[in-house]
Amino acid sequence: MNIFVDRTLCDNHGQCAISAPDVFRMNTEGILEYDEVVDDALHNDVEDAIDVCPVQAIFILNEG
Amino acid sequence: MSTVAPAPYFDISDSTFAMHSEAVRAARSQSWFARTNYGVAVLRYNEVSHLLKDQRLKQGSAQWPEHNGVHGGLFFDWWTENLLVLEGEDHHRIRRLVNPAFSPRHIEPLIVRFEALAEELVNNFVADGHCEFVRDFAEPYATRVLCILLGIPETEWPTIARLASTVGLALGVHIKRDLEQVEAALAELYAYAEALIVDRRAAPGDDFITRLVVANRDGDSLSDAELRNAIVLLIFGGMDTTRNQLGLALQSFVHNPEQWDLLGQRPDLGRKAVDEVLRTNPTTTWVTREAVADFTYNDLFIAGGTTVHLFTQVSGTDPLAFPDPEMNLLGEHAPHYGFGGGVHHCLGHFVAKADMGVALPLLARRLRNVRIDGVEEWMPDSGNTGPVRLPLSFTPAP
Repeated sequence: MNIFVDRTLCDNHGQCAISAPDVFRMNTEGILEYDEVVDDALHNDVEDAIDVCPVQAIFILNEG
Repeated sequence: MSTVAPAPYFDISDSTFAMHSEAVRAARSQSWFARTNYGVAVLRYNEVSHLLKDQRLKQGSAQWPEHNGVHGGLFFDWWTENLLVLEGEDHHRIRRLVNPAFSPRHIEPLIVRFEALAEELVNNFVADGHCEFVRDFAEPYATRVLCILLGIPETEWPTIARLASTVGLALGVHIKRDLEQVEAALAELYAYAEALIVDRRAAPGDDFITRLVVANRDGDSLSDAELRNAIVLLIFGGMDTTRNQLGLALQSFVHNPEQWDLLGQRPDLGRKAVDEVLRTNPTTTWVTREAVADFTYNDLFIAGGTTVHLFTQVSGTDPLAFPDPEMNLLGEHAPHYGFGGGVHHCLGHFVAKADMGVALPLLARRLRNVRIDGVEEWMPDSGNTGPVRLPLSFTPAP
């Protein structure tokens, strides 16, 4: 599946990196880095990350 | 030789210290930080936004009981094992397990019940044309919302309110004096939580506690003690904050009557109203962090162990980030930090936005021309604040 984070909304809280650490990471500057193409096996983790995001900035573009 | 003006200084435990004051605004225009009797206070928006999420700082309340001479016992054990103060993987593991229960998809279906509750409470006093807002609305609403969420009979709300407020005394400066009643209340809350856990294990339902009980991630789940601690944290963290924030919201709207009129006509602005109140008049007037090790930020050396207070209200109205900082339900503003931020961002924020987001427009529609009428009583301005007593007059509306 393909993931999109709306950077105009993202405030780099890092909650997604707690929920789905295989997909989302905070770099040493505290800025989000993420994989845009993700294995469907991580679907539940990504759903948790989408739900928990305080600014609701994460979207699944298409299911694989 | 260059000279640097000394940073402003505040005694933040002085009872006359006020966040909404000319002294604090003047300090904010002079410097991004102030020195205080408890470490550094950060005054401006950009710096608060960065430091709130900076990994070189950790949550700053872990040592609270020890700093106040409490080195063991029921409260100490609960405090040092709760999500608020845990760090690193210990924190992340619990957060991963409890987060899904707070998902917006589970909270949205409860909104009709929150709205019906708000209507019921308003109907009890609206015809009088006056009320004591904390007693008549904010406290029963905040507590009964928790009862709805937890599946506790709503008739038990006075007990829950009393227990939550009593445990809350542990965050006051008289923690040691109050410890005996704090621990008695905590023991009662434990009994509530343990009964809920036993009940839902025996008869799982489609409800919040069941979701916590069955939460499982890669074979890992919450132990009974972790479940109990999380439920008690929810009651402890969800009641006072919501009650206080509703009172602060009314204070803000009394001073912005045109915004109150607008909200009464536009219930779709309910969540924007919550955001604007949290930005300009939050109950949590600062968020506490502690430096993990020595570091330098913006040329300021911060020694490991230093307490760093991030002033949410002061930074949320910083003219450098908000050229027109007044509350404006139709304005476009940068995100506020009334729910804190970073890895410790408020767990219950979707619940708070949902419950206050339906209550405020309903109050705005039914309580017209609202004004303060009588003697107000307020908590101190530092830490978590709000009205203890807020007498209001208004013109009733259907």
